[in-house]
Amino acid sequence: MIKHFAPTSLNEALDILENNDCYIMSGGTDLMVQKHVSSGLLPKFDKSVLYMMNIKELDYINQDDKGNIHIGATTRYVEIENSSLIPAIYKEVIKEIASPNIRNMATLAGNIANASPAGDSLVPIILNDASLILASKNIERELLVKDFILGVRKIDRKANELIKEIIIKPQELNYFYKKVGSRKSESISKISFLGAYRIENDLIKDLRVALGSVYIKVVRSLEIENKYKNISSKEIDDAQFVKDYLALIDPISDQRSTKEYRNQVAENLLRAFLLELKGGSK
Amino acid sequence: MEIRFTLNNQEVVLDVNPSMRLLDVIRKELHLTGTKEGCGEGECGACTVLVNDEPYNSCLTPVINVLDKKVMTIEGFRETKEYRIIADAFASMGASQCGFCTPGMILVTHALLKKNPHPNEEEIRFALAGNLCRCTGYQAIVNAVLKISEENK
Amino acid sequence: MLPEYKTSVKKVDNEDKMAGKAIYTDDIQMDNALFAIPVRSTISYGKILKIVTPALPQGYFFISAKDIVKENVCNIILSDWPVFPAEVHYKGETIGLIVGPDKKICLDLASMTHATYNEFEPVYEMKNSYVHKEFTKGDTSKFLDAVKVFSEEFETGYQEQVYLEPQGMLIYLENNQIVVKASMQCPFYIHKAICRTLGCEESKVRVIQPAVGGAFGGKEHYPSLMAAQLATAITKIKKPIKMIFDRKEDISFTTKRHPSKTEISAYIDKNDNIIGVKIHVGIDGGAYVGCSAVVLSRALIATTNTYTFDNVAISGDAYCTNKVPSAAFRGFGSPQSIFAMEQFINHLADFLHVNRDELRNKYLVKTGDITSTNGIFRDEIILPVLIKKAKEMSNYEVKKKEYAKPGSFRGIGISTFLHGCGFTGSGESTIINAQLKITKDKNNIVRFYTSQVDFGQGNLTTLKRIVVDTLGIPEEQVIYEAPDTNKTLSTGPTAASRTIIIVGGLAAKAAKHLKEIWKDGEEQEIIEPYVGPSYIKWDEDTMQGDAYPGYAWGVNVIEVSVDPITYEVKVEGAWSTYDVGHAIDERIMIGQADGGLAQAIGWAYFEKEVMENGVFRQKTLSDYVIPTMMDLPKMETAFIDNPFPYGAFGAKGAGELTFVGGAPAFCSALEQAINRKVNKIPALPEYIMELMKNGN
Repeated sequence: MIKHFAPTSLNEALDILENNDCYIMSGGTDLMVQKHVSSGLLPKFDKSVLYMMNIKELDYINQDDKGNIHIGATTRYVEIENSSLIPAIYKEVIKEIASPNIRNMATLAGNIANASPAGDSLVPIILNDASLILASKNIERELLVKDFILGVRKIDRKANELIKEIIIKPQELNYFYKKVGSRKSESISKISFLGAYRIENDLIKDLRVALGSVYIKVVRSLEIENKYKNISSKEIDDAQFVKDYLALIDPISDQRSTKEYRNQVAENLLRAFLLELKGGSK
Repeated sequence: MEIRFTLNNQEVVLDVNPSMRLLDVIRKELHLTGTKEGCGEGECGACTVLVNDEPYNSCLTPVINVLDKKVMTIEGFRETKEYRIIADAFASMGASQCGFCTPGMILVTHALLKKNPHPNEEEIRFALAGNLCRCTGYQAIVNAVLKISEENK
Repeated sequence: MLPEYKTSVKKVDNEDKMAGKAIYTDDIQMDNALFAIPVRSTISYGKILKIVTPALPQGYFFISAKDIVKENVCNIILSDWPVFPAEVHYKGETIGLIVGPDKKICLDLASMTHATYNEFEPVYEMKNSYVHKEFTKGDTSKFLDAVKVFSEEFETGYQEQVYLEPQGMLIYLENNQIVVKASMQCPFYIHKAICRTLGCEESKVRVIQPAVGGAFGGKEHYPSLMAAQLATAITKIKKPIKMIFDRKEDISFTTKRHPSKTEISAYIDKNDNIIGVKIHVGIDGGAYVGCSAVVLSRALIATTNTYTFDNVAISGDAYCTNKVPSAAFRGFGSPQSIFAMEQFINHLADFLHVNRDELRNKYLVKTGDITSTNGIFRDEIILPVLIKKAKEMSNYEVKKKEYAKPGSFRGIGISTFLHGCGFTGSGESTIINAQLKITKDKNNIVRFYTSQVDFGQGNLTTLKRIVVDTLGIPEEQVIYEAPDTNKTLSTGPTAASRTIIIVGGLAAKAAKHLKEIWKDGEEQEIIEPYVGPSYIKWDEDTMQGDAYPGYAWGVNVIEVSVDPITYEVKVEGAWSTYDVGHAIDERIMIGQADGGLAQAIGWAYFEKEVMENGVFRQKTLSDYVIPTMMDLPKMETAFIDNPFPYGAFGAKGAGELTFVGGAPAFCSALEQAINRKVNKIPALPEYIMELMKNGN
C-alpha cells in the first residue's frame, strides 16, 4: 500500500524509513516531473513517499572549525546562493541552474540524489571531493559524493537511509567554469566544465578538472591531475592534456545536442582552461 | 492528510493527498483560476505563486511543501497597493498582451522589488528568467519594471 | 529612456488579464463537464481494421468514426482532413475519444484501447507533391543568355507556436444550441466545421470566444478538428465535455510551421547583371493538405521579396508526408521563402565580388514596379527611408566595417522584407465576404460586432478605437465585445494580417456610414459588407495579377557575437523600422514588433524541432527551447508613417510582418561573425561548429 509520510524531525523520518521503502521527495522539481500523469491528476507513485521539506532541523548552512561547510538536506539553492559562508564558485554554478523559481524550491541534496549525468551542482561538488552523510536509524555513514553516485540515476543509498547533509571541504582555488546550454536560463547542460588550479612560486600545487553531461556521471581523474602536480604550467603539453580527458568522456547524441558538438566543445574548453592556467587572458 | 497553510492571508485547512500539485489545489480545490497551467513541468512560470514571498512553480510543488507557509496567488496580491503600482507600470509599457503569463510575471516582479527596489535591466532579466512570454519579446515587461525601479529612486 | 506612448489608449482587457480575472477556456467552471481523452494512432500510415476498447463503465463512451453524424470531414480549407480517420496518415492522429466523468479512468481506458491496422509504408521525406504551383514573369528564355549561373539551397525547420495557453475546448448544450468556447482564432471556422460534420443548420451552433492566451496561427485551423470531434461526441452523449491538451500533447500532435527547402538560381550576364531568377520552394505539408496550398501560394508570391527581377520562373510544391500536418504560423510561408531570398542575394553578391548592400539596392523594388505575379506595387514604397533609418539607429556602417576585422567574432546583418496584407488576391471578396454589423440604441449607445479574436494583439482595443474616433463620441458610448456567433456576422478569420487593414477599414466605413445617418434617440442598424478595391484582379490558378490589396514593409538590423569556444550566439542588439501605413496605437504596434522579432530570433537560432520516424523528438518546453528574458537584447523600433488610402486611418497590416525579417538579419550577422555562409535554420551551435570546422 502506498503511503505518504511528512515527518517534521529527522528521527521521525528515520523511523519511517526503517519500515517503509520510500521515494524521498524534497523540492519536487525532479520527482514531480517524473511522476506527472496529467493536469488535475495526482502524480503516480509505485511506492510510498517521504516528504523532507518539513524537517526544519535539516535546513542549515554552517562551518566547522576545520573550515568544512555543512549543508543540511532540506537547504534550498536560494539559501545557498545567499549565504556568506558559501564560496563564490558554487554561487556561480547555482545561478545558472534552472530558473529562479526552481532555485527557490529545489535542494542541493535532492539534485545530488537525482544523480543525473547533467546535474550541474555535481560538477563543483565532485571537483571538491565533497562528501555527504547518509543517516539511518542506528548509523550515520559519510562517503564521498563521487562514490555515492554509481551511475545514471543510481546511488548508493539503502532503503532505510536518507541524505542528512553535504560537506564541502575548504578549497582555495582559481576557477574556470563554463556551462553550455541551449539558452541562458532554464537550460539543461549540453556540457559543463569546471577547471581549478592553485599555483605557488610558479609551480602547480593543485590542478583539477571536472566535466558534466559527457558521461554517465561527472568526469574527474585524480590520475591525470596528479601528473601535473609540482610542475610549472608551461610544461603542460596541451595536446596530451586534451587527449587524456577526451579519452575519458563518452558524450551521446540526444534531443539536446550531438556527440560531435560535445566532444569538440570539451576540447575547446580544455584548451581555453589551459590558456588561462598558463597566464593567458580569462 | 490534513494540510494547513495560509492562502492570501486567510487560513486554509484541506484534507488532500500531500502529493497533490499546489496548482491543482489552487485551481481545482479552491477554484482560483488566476494561476495558470502553461506546461506542467516547471518551465514556463505561468503557474507562479509566492510562498513566503518567494516565487515557486506551483505545478511542481506538492501541497505538503507549503504546510504552515504563506501562499499568495494573484487573487490575493491584486488587492494590495503594491499590485496597483506594478499593474499601472505594466499597462503603461504594454507589458501584457494575451495575459496568460502576466499574473506570474507580476508576482515575480513583486518578489524582486521587495528584495531589491532599484533593480537594473540585468537584474530584472535575471529575476524573471523563469517566466516565459511568447507575445511581448519581454522588452515591455522589462520596461515596466524599470519604470518602477526608477520611480523608487 | 523609457518610451512614453502619448497617443496610445488604455487596453480594454488589461485590467482583467493582469489581475488574473480573465477567463480562459480551462478556467471556465462547469462542474458536470466530462473529460475527453484522445486515443491516438500508433502507426504513421495504415488502414484501421478494428479498434478494441476495454469494457466501458457506465457513463463512459468511446466516440469514433462510427459516431459521425453526417460527414466525416473536417472543414480545414480543403476537405481532406477527416474528423475520425478510417485510414490514419500520421502517428498520433486521433482515432477516437474516450469521454467520461473521471479523467484518470478516461486516461486508463484510452491507454487500453488498441487499434489493429493494415500498415502501409510511410513517407517521411519531401517527395510526393500534393500541390504544385508555378508561374513566370517576363521572358524566361533569356535564362539561356546567361554566362554564369549561381545556385544555392536553403532549409528551414519546423517551428512550434508555443502559445502560453495550450489548446483547449469546452462544448455544451444550451437553449437548443451546441455551444463551444475554445482557445481559438476563428469562431466561424469552428462554426462551419461543426455544421458540416453534423449536417445541421447554422442556427444550431454557437461559438463564443473566451480569453485566449496566444495563438500565432496555431489556433487557426486545429480547433476546427477538436470541434468536429467534440460535436460528434456531444450529439451522442448530450453532456458538456472539456478537452484541454497538456503541453506535451500539444507540442506532439498539433500543427506547426511548414519546414521548407528552397532552391534559387540566378542567371548572370557578362556585365554581372541578373537577367533572371529561378526559384523552387518546397514545403512539408504533413499528412493532410489543410491550408498548405495557401501557405505555398503566399510563399511563392513572397519569394522575390523586396527585389524586382525582370524575368522570373517560380514554382513550388507542398509535399505529402506521413507526419503531423503543418499549418498556419505567423508569416504563413513568406518567412520561409524570404529567408531563402535574403540569404541568396547576399551570397550572390559574394559570388560576384560586390558589396552585399549595393547589390541588394540595385534590385530594390520601387513604387510602380511589376510584381513577380504581374501585378503592380501601386502604393508608395519607402524602403530607402526605412533602410536609412534602421542603419542610423544601429550604427550599421561603422559596425559592419569594424566587425569585418578577422577574429572579431562579431557581425551585423540587415534584412529587408514585405508582407502582403489580407487574404491573397480576391479572397476577401470571393471567399470571406466580411460583413460588419453596427447598431445604435435609443440611448445612443453604439454596439458593433466582428469575428476577430484578440489573442494578445490588441484588436479588441484598436477596433473599438477606430469606431470611437470615427464617430467622434466618448469611448463609454461604444460597446465592443469578444466575438459570439449568435450576435455577430462573420468578418472573417483572425489571420493573414487582415484584422486592421480589412476589418478595421470595414469598421471605419460602417462607423462613418452610421455617423452620416445618425438620428439621436433612434434605434439604427447598419450591415456593412466588405467591398474590395476594384483594381485587385487575381487568378489563383495561374497565380497572376495583384496578389494583395496592399503591402507592409520592414527592415531589421541584428548584431551578434559568437563565442568561438562554444559556438553559442548572443544577440547583442536589434533595430527595426516598419511601414505599416499608420500605427494607430504605437504601444500595441511596438508590442507586435518586439514579439514578432523575438519569435523570429527563436526560429533562427533557438528552436529545434526534429521529426524522427514520424514523431517529434522535442516534446516538452525543456526540450523545445524558446528564448527567455536573458536571451534577447533590448530592441529598438521605429514606425514610419506612409498612410494607406484604403486602410482605417491609413493603417495596413502588421501582425505577421514583424516576424518575417528576423531570421535572415540574424543569419547575415552570424555570417559576418563566423565568416561562413549560413543556409539553414535553426542555425544551432552544432551547425555553426560544423561550418567553422569545415569552412565554405
